[in-house]
Amino acid sequence: MEISREMIEAVVRQVIEQVYSKEKGKLSDSMYQVPNEPSVGNGQLRLLEIGKALKGNKVDEVVIAVSPEFGLNKAQTITGIPHGVVLKELIAGIEEEGLKARVIRVKRVADLAFLAWEGAKLSGSGISIGILSRGTTIIHQKDLQPLNNLELFPQAPLLDKETYRAIGRNAAKYAKGEPTDPVPVRNDQMARPKYQALAAVMHNKETQMVDKNADTVELQVKWA
Amino acid sequence: MKIIAGVDIGNSTTEVALGAFIQGKIYFLSSALTRTTGIKGTVDNVAGIKIALEKAAVKAGRPLQDISLVRLNEAAPVIGDLAMETVTETIITESTMIGHNPSTPGGLGLGVGILRSIEDIDFLEAGESYILTVPKSVDFETAARRIESAFSRNIDIRGLVVQNNDAVLIANRISKKIPIVDEVRDLHLLPLGVKAAVEVAEPGRVIEVLSDPYGIAGVFNLSPQETKLVIPIARALIGNRSAVILRTPKGDVTERKIPAGKIQLQGRKNIISIDINEGAEKIMAALKEVEPLLDANGEPGTNVGGMTQRIRQVMAGLTGQKPEEIHIKDLLAVDVSIPQKVKGGIAGEFFMESGVALAAMVQTSRVPMDAVARKLAEETGLEVEIAGVEANMAILGALTTPGTDKPLAIVDLGSGSTDAAIITADNQITSVHCAGAGDMVNMLINCELGLNDMSLAEEIKIHPLAKVENLFQLRMQDGSIQFFDKPLDPKVFGKLVLLKDGEMVPLEINHSLEKVCHVRRKAKRKVFLENTIRSLQKISPTGNIRHIEYVVMVGGSALDLEVAGIIADGLNEFGIVVGKGNIRGQEGPRNAVATGLVLSYSG
Repeated sequence: MEISREMIEAVVRQVIEQVYSKEKGKLSDSMYQVPNEPSVGNGQLRLLEIGKALKGNKVDEVVIAVSPEFGLNKAQTITGIPHGVVLKELIAGIEEEGLKARVIRVKRVADLAFLAWEGAKLSGSGISIGILSRGTTIIHQKDLQPLNNLELFPQAPLLDKETYRAIGRNAAKYAKGEPTDPVPVRNDQMARPKYQALAAVMHNKETQMVDKNADTVELQVKWA
Repeated sequence: MKIIAGVDIGNSTTEVALGAFIQGKIYFLSSALTRTTGIKGTVDNVAGIKIALEKAAVKAGRPLQDISLVRLNEAAPVIGDLAMETVTETIITESTMIGHNPSTPGGLGLGVGILRSIEDIDFLEAGESYILTVPKSVDFETAARRIESAFSRNIDIRGLVVQNNDAVLIANRISKKIPIVDEVRDLHLLPLGVKAAVEVAEPGRVIEVLSDPYGIAGVFNLSPQETKLVIPIARALIGNRSAVILRTPKGDVTERKIPAGKIQLQGRKNIISIDINEGAEKIMAALKEVEPLLDANGEPGTNVGGMTQRIRQVMAGLTGQKPEEIHIKDLLAVDVSIPQKVKGGIAGEFFMESGVALAAMVQTSRVPMDAVARKLAEETGLEVEIAGVEANMAILGALTTPGTDKPLAIVDLGSGSTDAAIITADNQITSVHCAGAGDMVNMLINCELGLNDMSLAEEIKIHPLAKVENLFQLRMQDGSIQFFDKPLDPKVFGKLVLLKDGEMVPLEINHSLEKVCHVRRKAKRKVFLENTIRSLQKISPTGNIRHIEYVVMVGGSALDLEVAGIIADGLNEFGIVVGKGNIRGQEGPRNAVATGLVLSYSG
């Protein structure tokens, strides 16, 4: 998708508005609901909270741990891929390998490594995928140090539909104990300068949603 | 007191032994080892020799200048070279079949029908059976939905051929169990409207109908003549978990033999010309017939021709002789299977093609060791002399192994050649050099695993393998398990690793532990065991290998645990006692020649 100056400005403006409005106390728990306006492309996502996330005991599950703001507000990544599409691809990649995905939301932290690690500890296979609302992704394992990882995809602007499918596939292969081929990721030196400001704003927005005392919740995923 | 240094320049390592000569007796001080610099027998070796000498001197706690005499071996004037020929090639014409093995096909069973695209699903009529192609542009959910609605219209869809990696996803979303093959890269090349068959087997099993000529005949109603023609297709699909076959008017799979060239073997009595295509067994049989080999020539313009030419030129450059005067004295041929991309394949299929690997060895009257000796003397200021034939020195050294006595045979398993020598009770020494050793094993491992990396092949050859099952658990190559208290590096998770000096080196290859171990053992058996038997036959005083009683293995490759075991196993049937040398009771199978050089000094 084309990234224009106007688009970035629009996103930044929107973010700033939301940050201000939150300060004024206009936003409440209703934020954890689905946006009403249709998102771009297919896959309008509905994430319903169905209670506290418990530790799984099935070895054929891979937990997808999403960040506090994932699927809410604009519900798209830094390059505009709808979160519904991202989640669908991750789940499809896991399913194609014959495993099952379980989606949870970590609310008390917006740090990718820690939220994925929390997911890994709840995962029956010990493997999790962590994802931030701007699209940055990680594959984690429960026995690793929180800041370590199996595979990290640090530059969200370079991740596309195919990459998310491949990340799901690799996570499933780790869960099966099979050797994996590294996920191919494009390389672009301009990604950092081009998106740094936007990433900072999106991260700021994400941390606004952190509730240090909230439980991690299990999500039911629906595509409207 | 005099300090004597024995220096052995091998194809890949230079070894030094340091001994003190006091009143007619030798006391060993130290030994050292380094990589050989340059080709064995050239002045380039001097750099390596100096390093090894200094190392040994430091270990002995003496300055280099204390060495009174350096004794170089009269290096056996032998060099070897390797070549590889692929002799078969599989070609698919007119997209007859898809024989690749996607890791996750979907559904189960055999489906036969007319091949149509899912884009035309609304125009299909009930009463006919169909196989559908699903291109990348159709998302798995859409595909499943359209197929479901076709099912409700009583359209008989019997199987799917999918471009994306979507087979399981579609299978999970449709109500009937039909076979689905996915990851077919060039889907657009499939001719629509022809009859097609798709088969998928259960996990862990292989397809049964499409890998059998009569199975294919039954599916497509073939005549006996036509059935004959599908044999290569069936053969190509054996061992796959999924397959697609199309019936096109002229479609065919052929296994073509590539003209690999001939090699002419010239013996004392006769000349035999043999095609490389005939395979390793025939080549080795021909070699036996012409024995002793006087020379060999590869057909110009082929890989074998190139190899025989190259090896002559290298040796000619080394000795200052003309290339025509250099003769190939031994050959070793080994059959290999090489994974190769199929020509005309539409899913990027790989088949195992057969090939022949060849090692050749040339021998001249002598290599210019005096030049090496002069250069070494100039650069170090030490006294240097050339002493002793390599084989004699090696026997002298090997005899320092505790528990050995004359008559004794030694097998020197090196990197370039496998050498053997025997000493009888009355001190008669006979020796022989055979083409093919450690380097050839590397080449075989490299080809069969499709590595394209010789140094990786070398690592796989010598280090034990293991599979990381999870972050705390390692499955060794012998099936035993090792546990860890601390989690392992995530880089090795789920991978095959080489255990290298307590470190784990992950391998980025997609083979099972069993496969890699099998390929490795097979390569070692084919080269080292074959050559050990060949060389012992040649040096046996009676020509019968059974008349040799004791064999000591020396040389770098004898350090390889598997090689020693394979040779001991193989020689066991001839009733031969065989074991690894332990030079001076402490050096293991290394340093035999260097030790022999020091021992043979008599003041």
